Amino acid sequence: MFVGAIFFPLLGACISGFLGRWIGDKAAQWSTVICMVLAAICGSLAFGQVALSGHPVTVEIVTWMDVGGLEFAWALRYDTLAAVMVAMVTFISTLIHLYSVGYMSHDETPSRFFAYLSLFTFMMLMLVTADNLAQLFFGWEGVGLASYLLIGYWYDRESANRAAMKAFIVNRVGDVSFMLGVALTFYVFGSIEFDTIFAAVPQHLEDRFGGIPALELIGVLLFIGACGKSAQLGLHTWLPDAMEGPTPVSALIHAATMVTAGVFLVCRMSPVFEYAPTALAVVTVVGASTALFAATIGCVQNDIKRVIAYSTCSQLGYMFFAAGVGAYQVAMFHLFTHAFFKALLFLGAGSVIHAMSDEQDIRKMGGIWSKIPITYAVMWIGNLALAGIPFFAGYYSKDAILEAAFASHSGVGMYAFLCGMIAAFLTAFYSWRLLILTFHGAPRADHHTMEHVHESPAVMLIPLLLLAVGAVLTGYIFAPLFIGEHEHGFWHGAILNAEHNHILHAMHEVPAWVPLAPTVMGIGGIALAYVFYMLAPGIPGRLATAFRGLYLFLLNKWYFDELYDAIFVRPARRLAMVFWKTGDAQIIDGMPNGAASLAVGVARGAVRIQTGRVANYAFAMIIGLVVFVSLFLIGR
Amino acid sequence: MTWTLALPELVLAIAGLVILVAGVLPKQETFFPVSMACIGSLLLAAVLVLGQPEGTALGGHYVADDFSGFMKLLAIGGAAIGILLSLDYNTKEGLGRFEFPLLMLLATIGMMVMISANDLLSLYLGLELLSLPLYVIAAFNRDSARSAEAGLKYFVLGALASGLLLYGSSLVYGFAGTTNFDRLADAFSADSGVTAGVVVGIVFVIAGLAFKVSAVPFHMWTPDVYEGAPTPVTAFFAAAPKVAAIALLARVLVGPFGDLAGQWQQVITLVSLGSMTLGGFAAIGQRNIKRLMAYSSIGHVGYALMGLAVANDVGLRGLLVYMAIYVAMNLGTFAVLIAMRRKGRAVEQVEDLAGLGRTDLGTAVWMAVFMFSMAGIPPLAGFFGKLYVFLAAVQAGFWTLAVVGVLTSVVSAYYYLRIVKVMFFDAPAGALDPAPASLTVVMAASGLFTLFFVLWPAPLLAAAQAAAAALLG
Amino acid sequence: MTQPLLAEYFPILVFLAIAGGIALAMVGGSLLLARQKPNAEKLSAYECGFEPFDDTRRRFDVRFYLVAILFIIFDLEVAFLFPWAVSLGGIGWFGFLSMIAFLGVLTVGFIYEWRKGALDWE
Repeated sequence: MFVGAIFFPLLGACISGFLGRWIGDKAAQWSTVICMVLAAICGSLAFGQVALSGHPVTVEIVTWMDVGGLEFAWALRYDTLAAVMVAMVTFISTLIHLYSVGYMSHDETPSRFFAYLSLFTFMMLMLVTADNLAQLFFGWEGVGLASYLLIGYWYDRESANRAAMKAFIVNRVGDVSFMLGVALTFYVFGSIEFDTIFAAVPQHLEDRFGGIPALELIGVLLFIGACGKSAQLGLHTWLPDAMEGPTPVSALIHAATMVTAGVFLVCRMSPVFEYAPTALAVVTVVGASTALFAATIGCVQNDIKRVIAYSTCSQLGYMFFAAGVGAYQVAMFHLFTHAFFKALLFLGAGSVIHAMSDEQDIRKMGGIWSKIPITYAVMWIGNLALAGIPFFAGYYSKDAILEAAFASHSGVGMYAFLCGMIAAFLTAFYSWRLLILTFHGAPRADHHTMEHVHESPAVMLIPLLLLAVGAVLTGYIFAPLFIGEHEHGFWHGAILNAEHNHILHAMHEVPAWVPLAPTVMGIGGIALAYVFYMLAPGIPGRLATAFRGLYLFLLNKWYFDELYDAIFVRPARRLAMVFWKTGDAQIIDGMPNGAASLAVGVARGAVRIQTGRVANYAFAMIIGLVVFVSLFLIGR
Repeated sequence: MTWTLALPELVLAIAGLVILVAGVLPKQETFFPVSMACIGSLLLAAVLVLGQPEGTALGGHYVADDFSGFMKLLAIGGAAIGILLSLDYNTKEGLGRFEFPLLMLLATIGMMVMISANDLLSLYLGLELLSLPLYVIAAFNRDSARSAEAGLKYFVLGALASGLLLYGSSLVYGFAGTTNFDRLADAFSADSGVTAGVVVGIVFVIAGLAFKVSAVPFHMWTPDVYEGAPTPVTAFFAAAPKVAAIALLARVLVGPFGDLAGQWQQVITLVSLGSMTLGGFAAIGQRNIKRLMAYSSIGHVGYALMGLAVANDVGLRGLLVYMAIYVAMNLGTFAVLIAMRRKGRAVEQVEDLAGLGRTDLGTAVWMAVFMFSMAGIPPLAGFFGKLYVFLAAVQAGFWTLAVVGVLTSVVSAYYYLRIVKVMFFDAPAGALDPAPASLTVVMAASGLFTLFFVLWPAPLLAAAQAAAAALLG
Repeated sequence: MTQPLLAEYFPILVFLAIAGGIALAMVGGSLLLARQKPNAEKLSAYECGFEPFDDTRRRFDVRFYLVAILFIIFDLEVAFLFPWAVSLGGIGWFGFLSMIAFLGVLTVGFIYEWRKGALDWE
């Protein structure tokens, strides 16, 4: 069961990837779906046994490497943290596989797509069940690879290729830091197995590396790695571009699972982070800033998927600052609920795009709600959950995050609380902007497209409906377990809160207005969007002209891409040109070319000895023998 | 009597005789069933080797330990796959005669006797039992002048090498008064001053064995024989007998002459340096791919001997790991070479591979994997083979060896990568015939091993460690 | 006797002398008594033999070579059998069975050459 949950997706990927050509697309698709269903069953059972019944296990597969002092195994570490992720990933991945069967029905090479998708799932599961940092890194890079392949899935599109490369390269920046973090961990703890590290944390509190407390440094390095994967401020630029991939990919990888790997990492390393207060402060500030920053951009974007992408970025910011104030459980809870409603939103957006004949610009939509009522309904549910309207999933988790930030009573906590509040308002605003522009008002698409607007097939609607149920119920059902009174028995020590950390209690004792505020913000945002886009549609345009500078600033995503282009890309390119022209072409090529001609000369000489005559050969042997004997006798 | 210890060899020998009679009696040609029977007996022998207890037998002539087990499994595996590789080729080339697999089987018995030899006499017996079938199969394509020439050259030079070995043995016997390895070890550890005669004898023994592993300067036969012999024979030559001879070299030098390590280390170092250098440079200009592989194998032996030159447990472990990986990727490479046929005729120039990436992607990818691995590019298996011997050399302070090793592997990367370049970037020279299933299986199996060794190196490392420990006692 | 080892070989010396004497007597007798009328056919080598003083690279029928090789193998076998027969009392059943195994291997070889037609002249 434990192994099955992880390896069924790999099996599916192999079948579809290697045998797809022979067994046909249909068989390949459904074999991956069946594998995923099996994995999801295993994952749910594992969740039941590990998390609900409280029996964490570690399944050792084989010893991977034993070099010098470095020894670790392939092992599956199933504690509650991993089990939550496994259950969530397998469940959502299954739905998305199913959805893709419909969504990719017009594609030419669906077996390749499904192989990638299953491969991604396997890598993600490897990441979350890792027993040591090396295995985690394997999964970490594996999901990066799968993400690269899937973003660039339509490889004949120039933009898709660029986006795939951008995602990979930006992630690489984070990965370097991650690797440094792993190396430093090994240096400090002498091991990269979680159990050993966590047990040894108390002995290394005072360790310093280059004058900086070692734990702080490890925390910051790992967090920068997490930033790359989770698209936090500074390393977020790849995520919106990643929307070039097929929509199910955006839903699975760039909303529900892979991007949350960074949050997962911080929670997984909670025993280390708990003793690295500065690192936690960095996490909080970056997370809070991202939450606000991405929300502001989301308000002016016109591509339906990009709006949701920035919303993802913003929600990830929430998770990070929740973890940053020490409420890892709350971060995981938001991660969990977010997976459902964000996957729902993306798949709903996919359904809209499907209906609109691949149109993604919301300015060219409108007036289609009556034609695709089910999609419309699930989009409502998703947005209600995202905006944190009471009793939908997002309400429980987002409220808890803001309460935790408020209850932390620190400067960074208050900063996070403020950012979070404003972001909550903006979130509701852009969600309803999206909803209204997409579904209401006069149709802005051409006739031809409008005639073809149709509801998606059942194979796409079933996942949507299941996810909608999740977006409604997960918050209510799981809140007591994740962050409520059963929290302690549920987590079973998978997440460590140090003795000085009382955030989970403090967050229930905040003033009465704090839990109400996010809801008020949310409703306010909805109201504003209603006014702007339903009642008085002229206002946004006038505002945009009045505050033209601000509007362009937001529309161009705070000019991050341009900034990076100017600071890194162009100088690097110029430097590369210099290296290429002088360094490589003249100096480096010069040396091996000389060496190569030398080698060819030596080779000719060596071959010349090879005359083909037996007598010469025998002579060479005897000469060698004589040389050795004399060497021996003289050397004695 | 303790002769039951040698059960694998005995079973294999009896199987060989039975198969010989069964093969010759029917009227029609029995190449295929005999091949299958030979592979079956080899597998049976492998199982018996796995279950073999440790100990010495046959009056101290025969020893079984972890080391012999490891090496025998390698040799048997190499031989079994060698027979598998020959199935299709021999049928198409008109060499499908049942003696061919049988001779390989007999040679394998010789290897096993060599590996388990605990006496200079059983050593010689095994070596000759190995060599005689090899002379014959080198010339197996008797209507081809090149094949006959290969067989004859190998025979003449092999006889010379055997003579050297025998002469060395008799010198050692004359000065030490015994041929048994254990008692030789006692004699040399007790006696502080070793006479010149013994030293000369050791050098002669080393020379005789270095011929079999084709180490410089006893390598001269290799390119001609590799090129001339039928390709499956070359594949066999490059894999199994090398394992056996390296095993024997290690056992002789570390066992009875272990206390004289200071004396023979410099010879092995020189041999290793020479082999690496020659293997790196001489292959560059080769156009015939079998000849190229001959030089490549000389180079690989040089790397493996680096582990022996270090002569401690890390070095020996490196040697064993290197040989295991070498055999795997070499068999894979030769599976590709044997599959090289165009319009029913075997071709063996590097240019014949041109454009293989476009005409037969699967084969080209496997070949590329083997070439990258041989060049020692991580994370393929060949990299780890080199890593372990270099590591041992550096740890023991053999800097010259390590530095030359790295430099020559850079040089050799040139010709390995050239093959990859020819396959993927040159204009196709016309499609090759599709590879038969038996070859594809071998390619895929060794390719997967080469690719995924990195994921699960522990069992091989542990086995090599145990074998090295058994040898050092 | 001062050298007992050599003394032991004395009978062999006697044996050699007698053998040499008989051979000399036979060849010398025919040389002295018989009529000599040589011609080209009479002076040529036997059909299975070669010119003793001639170019070594001459072609010859490989069948002679084959027969010679087979002869040598079984000749050597007999050479092994003599010491075995003499020491059979000392080496016991193991020695006996070892030789039987050796003969068995030879028999297999014999079966092989027989089936391959190495014993047929045509």
